[in-house]
Amino acid sequence: MDLLQGTLEMLVLRTLVFGALHGYGIAKAIRNSSKESLDIEFGSLYPALKRLELKGWVASQWEMSESHRRAKFYRLTPAGRKQLAREHSKWADFVDAVARVMGTAPGESQ
Amino acid sequence: MAFRWKYLIPRLRRDQERQMQEELQALAEIAGRRELGNLTLAAEDARSEWGWPWLDGILADIRFAFRTLRRQPSFTAVAVVSLALGIGANAAIFSLMDALLWRDLPVRDPQSLVVFENSSRSYFGYTRFAEHAGPVMESVAADSGALARHLDTGNAFERGHIDLVSGSFFQTLGVNAELGRTITPEDDRRGSPALVAVLSHAYWQRAYGGQPVLGRTIRVEKIPFTIVGVAPPEFFGVTVGDSTDVWLPVTATDNVFPGPSWLNFKNNNFLSVIGRLRRGVSQRQAEDALTPVSIQTDIERNGPPPNEAERRELFESRLQLEPATKGLSFLRDRFSKPLRVVFWMVGIGLLLACVNVMSLEFARADERRKELTVRLAIGAGRWRIARQLLTESLLVALASGALGIAMRKPVAEALLRLIAYGDQGARLNLGLQSGVLLFVVGVSIAAALLAGVVPALRATRGDVLPGLQQGSRSATAAPVRRLLGRAIASTQMALSLVLVAGACLFAYSLHQLRQFDSGVTRAHLLVVDVNPADAGYAEDQLIPLNVRLRQRLAAVPGVESASFSQNGIYSGRNYGTQIQAEGSSESDPRHQSVYDHVGPYFFTTVGARLVAGRDFNERDDTGAPRVTIVTSEFARRYLPGRDPVGRNLYVATARNTTETYRIVGVVHDLRNNVRRPQPMFYLPQLQTLTQAFSTRFLVRTRLNPLAVMASLRAAVRSEDAALRVDQMDLAEDLFDRTLSTDRLIAALAWGFGVLAITLAAVGIYGLLSYDVTRRTAEIGIRMAVGARKSDVIRLVMREVALVCGVGLAAGCAAALGMSRLVAGMVFQMKPGDPLVEAAAAAVLAAVALGAAWIPARRAARMDPMDALRNE
Repeated sequence: MDLLQGTLEMLVLRTLVFGALHGYGIAKAIRNSSKESLDIEFGSLYPALKRLELKGWVASQWEMSESHRRAKFYRLTPAGRKQLAREHSKWADFVDAVARVMGTAPGESQ
Repeated sequence: MAFRWKYLIPRLRRDQERQMQEELQALAEIAGRRELGNLTLAAEDARSEWGWPWLDGILADIRFAFRTLRRQPSFTAVAVVSLALGIGANAAIFSLMDALLWRDLPVRDPQSLVVFENSSRSYFGYTRFAEHAGPVMESVAADSGALARHLDTGNAFERGHIDLVSGSFFQTLGVNAELGRTITPEDDRRGSPALVAVLSHAYWQRAYGGQPVLGRTIRVEKIPFTIVGVAPPEFFGVTVGDSTDVWLPVTATDNVFPGPSWLNFKNNNFLSVIGRLRRGVSQRQAEDALTPVSIQTDIERNGPPPNEAERRELFESRLQLEPATKGLSFLRDRFSKPLRVVFWMVGIGLLLACVNVMSLEFARADERRKELTVRLAIGAGRWRIARQLLTESLLVALASGALGIAMRKPVAEALLRLIAYGDQGARLNLGLQSGVLLFVVGVSIAAALLAGVVPALRATRGDVLPGLQQGSRSATAAPVRRLLGRAIASTQMALSLVLVAGACLFAYSLHQLRQFDSGVTRAHLLVVDVNPADAGYAEDQLIPLNVRLRQRLAAVPGVESASFSQNGIYSGRNYGTQIQAEGSSESDPRHQSVYDHVGPYFFTTVGARLVAGRDFNERDDTGAPRVTIVTSEFARRYLPGRDPVGRNLYVATARNTTETYRIVGVVHDLRNNVRRPQPMFYLPQLQTLTQAFSTRFLVRTRLNPLAVMASLRAAVRSEDAALRVDQMDLAEDLFDRTLSTDRLIAALAWGFGVLAITLAAVGIYGLLSYDVTRRTAEIGIRMAVGARKSDVIRLVMREVALVCGVGLAAGCAAALGMSRLVAGMVFQMKPGDPLVEAAAAAVLAAVALGAAWIPARRAARMDPMDALRNE
């Protein structure tokens, strides 16, 4: 499934609500929570992470992973939390609006 | 945003990069490389989030350009130096023109300043205007301009420049003192002037080292003045080119110029009168309002007009004002035209340098063809490569621009010294103005584009494959490249022709000027300037002193004869009055004429040729009939077709009387300006007993004049130890000074001409070397099938002939087009003289053939077997 423009950043922020994760962990988490239907390529996830870091919405730090390897872990900053809240309501409005226009799928109404 | 700026710092950048690589490495170990996909691309995308990709690209271009240029030091040096010379010379001329012609005076609201043009410029005239200008002008001021006087600071005694100004001067201009105060109307009291002085900033720095000076005393011609202020650094007065050291109240004029009072004399012109128009008053309205004052002043000066015609003329006359926004300048009048010519010369010089660099860039692009094709082949965009090449050109041009700016000031100062030859005081504010800086940057970028764009675009054209397959040596895409090469060489020839033709023209004109009979035999003639008034001599002692000094000078061993005069020879100083010649057939026989008061044997001493009659001698004094000698131009103009000798000349005097002199001789014109004879007459000073200036003695020597100079000084001192020789010049030098502009132009034209010839020769050589190399195989085959050496040489020379023909024809046309620019500047020849152009073309053709000879011979000596093996 293709992602809408800008949605990736929102997904990353949402994923980090549950705690700090490293880059690959974030990709896996998104894949898992979308039940495999969103397969984020690491190649696009990584620049998005750097973008979020630059904006100050996430912060990173070297930590030990569950497999006892060193990795850079990203966590939400307070600013990132606020941003997520904004994105969330925007997303809800967007879904509502799109749903109203689309109604039920024409094939299913018959 | 802040981070993006910081990302430009190399250390931070490296740090960031290291961190990222570590992180990606760690993740790869956790997840496995395959899982993560293309990590290089991910890193690349992340990097572009940090910085500005476009800026990174440009920085990379610049870094790469630096490396490339460092690898080719000879190309870089030649390109930078030739462009720097061009840019530096242009910037220097631009600075001069800016300072002299374009810049406004550094005063309050310069737009409302006007200068009185055709009115009385005496102190009397100034006071009249100052009294009556109130309704149309805020204020009126008078200014003498810089005058040479001895200044004594207590530590140093030197000749400096004073400027006598009215009390209203600084107020009118709206200039405030940097330290202390300026001269005010209260200082400027007629009869009892306050002896106060305002120093220029430069003089304060030079003579006092910027130490506190307020209240200290400076002696001007031994008269003590109290220093009350220092003018701001940018203020030089109102005359552009003057370098005033000290401003004094104009009413103190007679204190520092002993002798006849300048202030009382109503008919002199030692002041410039300037005014500031009231808001809303136009120049025309002011002229209308002040014309009656001007007429009234004229009547008060000269008495009522003697007849109806003169009365009508006077009452129809009109005061003229001129804008003084950019100040007054004698330099401007004299040099605006020569400067424009020089501006064109250096402009063409720069164009030539650009063309030269362009041809170098072409050669370089040829060499780099393989490298460029490789880069094209692995996916670099054409624009990307062109951008890289342009960055290199721009780097070269900006380096040249920086060098050019460094050269600008010394070059401009040298030029100023050259054009103001003989006037050591001429000084302009040549500080780096933002306009000049913009000009240089603009010219540099234009030069880079001009020299770089075409080669860059050419280098990225064509297919990738042939470039890779073939060696760089025999790179093809030839027809266009060859055409471009020819075009460049032709352009070099054409531009060179313009410069060389100019050089020939000016050099020949200067030669004509030097050869021309200016009426004086210059060899072995000295002019010795002595000012007895400075040594305290009273007016009635001056002429007896002149007589005694003449005898002393004539008695010096090695001196053939000596005489004296007021104005000497080749000087700008003169007397003028109204005259009328007896027996003139004109309806109005009255004329204004220039004259001089001279001593016995003046004409014999200067080596003038008497056309008729005799020279003055010792017996022409107050006891004898009054006599005069006129010049041939005077006779031609005022007594056409008549024998002047024996006729009377009626001369108006300063006391409003007319005196009668009998013409006893006609002398071949003594020209102050070689270009134009001036009607002049001479009176024996022993009869006129008039002396307003210093005395200029003329001394003709038998020996080398330099050898007797010391004895002449000693002779003057032996008369009176207080007397000083202010100036002693060879007549040759004085004459050369009158030709300073011509010499400047000729010297510059030659400089640029030689430069142009060199560049053209290099251009032709480069073109043919390339051509011969490219056609190695063809020449080899031709020789193998029986072509002789002469045939090969002819083959190469045909190319030269083509390039020369086109270039020289275009150059001749351009030179003709430019000839309008120099009209009136060359002596006794026409600017578009076909002979001059032919001479220039011949010189260039010879040089081109010379330059072509080496590649031609190389082609002819080629071994056909070697040539063919090369394929």
